Amino acid sequence: MRILLVEDDRMLGDGLQAGLTQAGYAVDWLRDGEAAVAALSTESFAAVVLDLGLPKRDGLSVLQWLRGRDDTTPVLILTARDQLEDKVRGLDLGADDYVLKPFDLDEIAARLRALVRRAHGRPQPLLSLGEIELDPAARSVTRAGLAVELTPREFDLLHLLLENGGRVLTRRVLEEQLYTWNDAVDSNALEVHIHHLRKKLGNELIRTVRGVGYMASAATTPT
Amino acid sequence: MNSTVSYSLRRRLVWLLTGAVAAIWLVSAWVVYQRAHHEADALLDSQLTQVAETLLAIVAGGEVEHFVKELHEHAGRNPVPIVFEIWHTDDGAMRRLVTSPSHAVFETGLPDGFSERPYQGARWRFYGLQDEDAEYRVVVAQAHDAREQLAREIGLSLLVPAALALPLMALAVWWVVGRSLRPVDAVAQQVGALDAQALAPLDESTPLPSEIAPLRSALNALIRRVAEAFDNERRFTADAAHELRTPLAALKVQAQVAQRAQTADSQQRALAQVIAGVDRMTHLVEQLLTLARVDPANQGSVPDPLDPAGTIAAVCAELLPQAQRQAQSLVVETAPGCRVAVTEAWLRIALRNLVDNALRYAGEGARIEVRLARSGPACTITVADDGPGVASDLRSQLSARFVRGEVEADGCGLGLSIVARIAALSHAQLELGDGLPRAEGGHGFAVSLRFGAAAGPA
Repeated sequence: MRILLVEDDRMLGDGLQAGLTQAGYAVDWLRDGEAAVAALSTESFAAVVLDLGLPKRDGLSVLQWLRGRDDTTPVLILTARDQLEDKVRGLDLGADDYVLKPFDLDEIAARLRALVRRAHGRPQPLLSLGEIELDPAARSVTRAGLAVELTPREFDLLHLLLENGGRVLTRRVLEEQLYTWNDAVDSNALEVHIHHLRKKLGNELIRTVRGVGYMASAATTPT
Repeated sequence: MNSTVSYSLRRRLVWLLTGAVAAIWLVSAWVVYQRAHHEADALLDSQLTQVAETLLAIVAGGEVEHFVKELHEHAGRNPVPIVFEIWHTDDGAMRRLVTSPSHAVFETGLPDGFSERPYQGARWRFYGLQDEDAEYRVVVAQAHDAREQLAREIGLSLLVPAALALPLMALAVWWVVGRSLRPVDAVAQQVGALDAQALAPLDESTPLPSEIAPLRSALNALIRRVAEAFDNERRFTADAAHELRTPLAALKVQAQVAQRAQTADSQQRALAQVIAGVDRMTHLVEQLLTLARVDPANQGSVPDPLDPAGTIAAVCAELLPQAQRQAQSLVVETAPGCRVAVTEAWLRIALRNLVDNALRYAGEGARIEVRLARSGPACTITVADDGPGVASDLRSQLSARFVRGEVEADGCGLGLSIVARIAALSHAQLELGDGLPRAEGGHGFAVSLRFGAAAGPA
């Protein structure tokens, strides 16, 4: 899951990037509102963690701009202001959630999972397809009830495919969602991860749509 | 409300106005009375003269007997009765020819014209007249008391209605004053209804008399100042909370990252961040305390003028190691003979913040100059650098609390607010401007503190 983190405080941004990476997110970190607008206008993220007090362009203004262009990317607002009116204003402008500083890293990670889940219209926390079951919170995968060991990247790829079950994801979208700007991406890395996933979870799970991309399919065992 | 010195403006106005009017009235009444008296005297005198002349004419015409009879019948009509004697010269001797009825004889030898003398145990006014050939002589007289009484009656008849008008006037004054003071009551009610938590200026749309309008304007000015101070404090509390929350959040997140780190390397990195975070919070708390401490109440009396050169040298010496760590050059230039009236501790705090800001924001290898210059009695301390500078539209916001420059540095955004506060309390001007020229063009940033002439020995 690729997250855009917009936080001007160097130490907090650094900590959030490190902490959310530990929690399995691919985190891109920007430090001002204008850079956030630039990034959001060209790329897609699973969610945005947005601080309100930002240089160059205020967080609320970024949010307003984002919602103004009908972008439904979930937005989690970080703020130091606990006045009710600030919260109400943030939520009214289209924020999906609101966290007051100081916060717990686990809480942020959990809220982000919930936001992504809700963004895909999925009420239950577990993702399943056939005999495969994925728990985003525990970052664990089972096949027919048995635990399967996946690397973080494989897990993220599977998570993405299951989250978008039934939809074809292009290479570009997959790479955009998996890698941050700082990650060096090999041209065939994606194929390698797909290959490994098929080996561990069965060939039928991930279908290749020629010339387009990949999709998770439940062809073997209808859901 | 205040029992010792409270008094009613209305009562006071009524007493003063009525008293003043009564005093003026008394004076004018006295004048009126005097004039009325005088007029009555003149009137009665002319009556006496007329009677005397008529009598003389009648006597000369030989109709004395008939006239006396007439006179007797009409006696008592005149409010002030007139008595008379008519004398006739016969063979060189004067003798009484006729006297008025019920008459006691006058003394002899009364002069011509007016005179006052005793008669029948009281004062009377006499008038004597002789015809041309000194054959007849007439003396008429009126009782002085009766004349006086008539004059008094005339005078009083003029005064009584005016005296009755006095209490009516007092009532009118009471009413008018009460009515005129009604706007004061209205303002008092408005002030009384003010909410201390949400101070709003009084409604200035209702017209007020020009005597009370300044009171309302002054009150409104005060209300606005107090409300602004209130707001300022509220904003400061909110800002301070914000500023404490972000570093706290950073500390917590970094600590959790350290806790979960899977490599020793990333754990060490996160822990180093935690320590840096604590240092940063310490700095923030110190700056907050400094800001709270720079309070006019702590200043005491007017500070003695001092030469800032010593303080500049001390502060720069203190910060030199930091400059050296960042490969920055710190240059001090001072002009002799400067005197500025500022509390030494405050000057030290201001300088420390200015130089510290320059060290923080000018970047590695920058040049920082601290200059003390004198022009006439005024002294200016300037801290200039050749760092990236500050856009002019951002400069005006810099001295607000918790506003940082665009440059990425670990400032807490309070330094310039502290300097601005010290400048304001020390009657110095704070100016933000262009600093030293940069090698790649443009200018760095400079802050100057301009102190006016310091009182005391130079």
